[in-house]
Amino acid sequence: MGHCILTVDDSSTMRQMITFTLKGANFDVLEAGDGVEALEVAKGKKLSLIITDVNMPRMDGITLVQRLRALPEFKFTPILVLTTESDATMKQKGKEAGATGWIVKPFSPEKLLDVVNKVI
Amino acid sequence: MSRWFGSTSAAGPTPTQELAPPEGSLRPTLVRLAAREAAMLEGQVNFLTPELLQADSLVREAAGTLEEALKTLDRSVQQQHLLAGEIQAAMQSTLEGDPNSATASGGFDAMSATIMGTLDGFVGHIADISQSTEQLVEEVNDIRDRSLRMETMLEELSEIAGRTHLLSLNAAIEAAHARQFGAGFAVVAGEVSKLADRSTALSQTIQEQVNGTRQALERTDAHVKAIASQDMNVALASRGESENLVMALQTSNWIVKDLVNQLKENARTITTQVGHVVRSLQFEDLVHQTLMACLKELGNLLEQAEAWKALGTRLTAGEPEAPALAALEARLGEIEASRVQFRAVKSGSLTAGEVDLF
Repeated sequence: MGHCILTVDDSSTMRQMITFTLKGANFDVLEAGDGVEALEVAKGKKLSLIITDVNMPRMDGITLVQRLRALPEFKFTPILVLTTESDATMKQKGKEAGATGWIVKPFSPEKLLDVVNKVI
Repeated sequence: MSRWFGSTSAAGPTPTQELAPPEGSLRPTLVRLAAREAAMLEGQVNFLTPELLQADSLVREAAGTLEEALKTLDRSVQQQHLLAGEIQAAMQSTLEGDPNSATASGGFDAMSATIMGTLDGFVGHIADISQSTEQLVEEVNDIRDRSLRMETMLEELSEIAGRTHLLSLNAAIEAAHARQFGAGFAVVAGEVSKLADRSTALSQTIQEQVNGTRQALERTDAHVKAIASQDMNVALASRGESENLVMALQTSNWIVKDLVNQLKENARTITTQVGHVVRSLQFEDLVHQTLMACLKELGNLLEQAEAWKALGTRLTAGEPEAPALAALEARLGEIEASRVQFRAVKSGSLTAGEVDLF
């Protein structure tokens, strides 16, 4: 059985680009439009990786990381933050919340797959 | 701090100090200015908001179209890549031999060598036959020479028979002259004459047989020569044609190999370009975020317009200028403080962003 990855972004274009890249490398991909939906989608799933944006409606990416880390089943699941934010303070917040890595948009498919293969 | 009234720090005069004319003298001007500022801000916001929304909508629509085109293109490239791989695999297994297969043919070169080896064997075999045929021709020639010699001997035999017959005639004449004393001799002469006749007849029959044999040998000789010549010509022509065929197959093999490699190279180039498109398409989201940030700023401008309107209303209602201006300043300060101080998009180019693993 292949790896299943959850991608969280309020932009459908971003979700599609991430999905396109990951499916091209034979990963199974689930999508969510914000943090709240991500928690619902992740419930009961065996996820190999979660990739989340930061600025999203209802629940932002940093809060999502904190909420996921509080759940036993996602305590050690790799979580990558994929965002336009490159500010050091914001990055530190992500690290403290429990993120595994920080990728600044836009991503190149090759680089994203490199990072994904490293953290899975 | 306000951009309309300057610094409020101790270093400089306060706005109300700068604007300290006698109470009431500037009121109509202030009311007019407030109304103009409010109208100008509203006008700008009303113009820019639909423009930005339309730009956002157009960029999103364009991105959607590109996404679909990208997916279709990617599917086609994947399919092309698979086809090229299948062609190459098929060629490898049929022409170059599968190294993992026990029944491998040994490759195209080995196959060519086998064909040429078989042809060489065939031509050699034909050459052997041709050599045997030449020996056969020599044998036929020998038989023909012998039959010619037999003809000479038959002619001699015929001449002897003729002379014998003549001799028997002379003997018969002499026997007749000798009358009754030559009667026995006449019988012998008659028998000799009969023998000469039989000998002549036999030699004619043999001559006919020899003639028939010689003609048959000549025909055989012609056939054998024709066969020998034809065998070699056909064998050599077949060999030449087969060589050409093998060469053509080899050339075709190289061309197909080259085409398959070109197809694979094209697929790789397109895959790289698809990667660039994936990166570029993400700017739809980045542009959207920038436009949303601009719209937020426009919302702030509308709030500022309302603050200016409120100043006009207060002054028109007869409120003293100083507190009315102070209220405006306070409101503008609040609006400025509420602005989100961040750039939605940091990236200034299409290059991919940095990656940091914690």
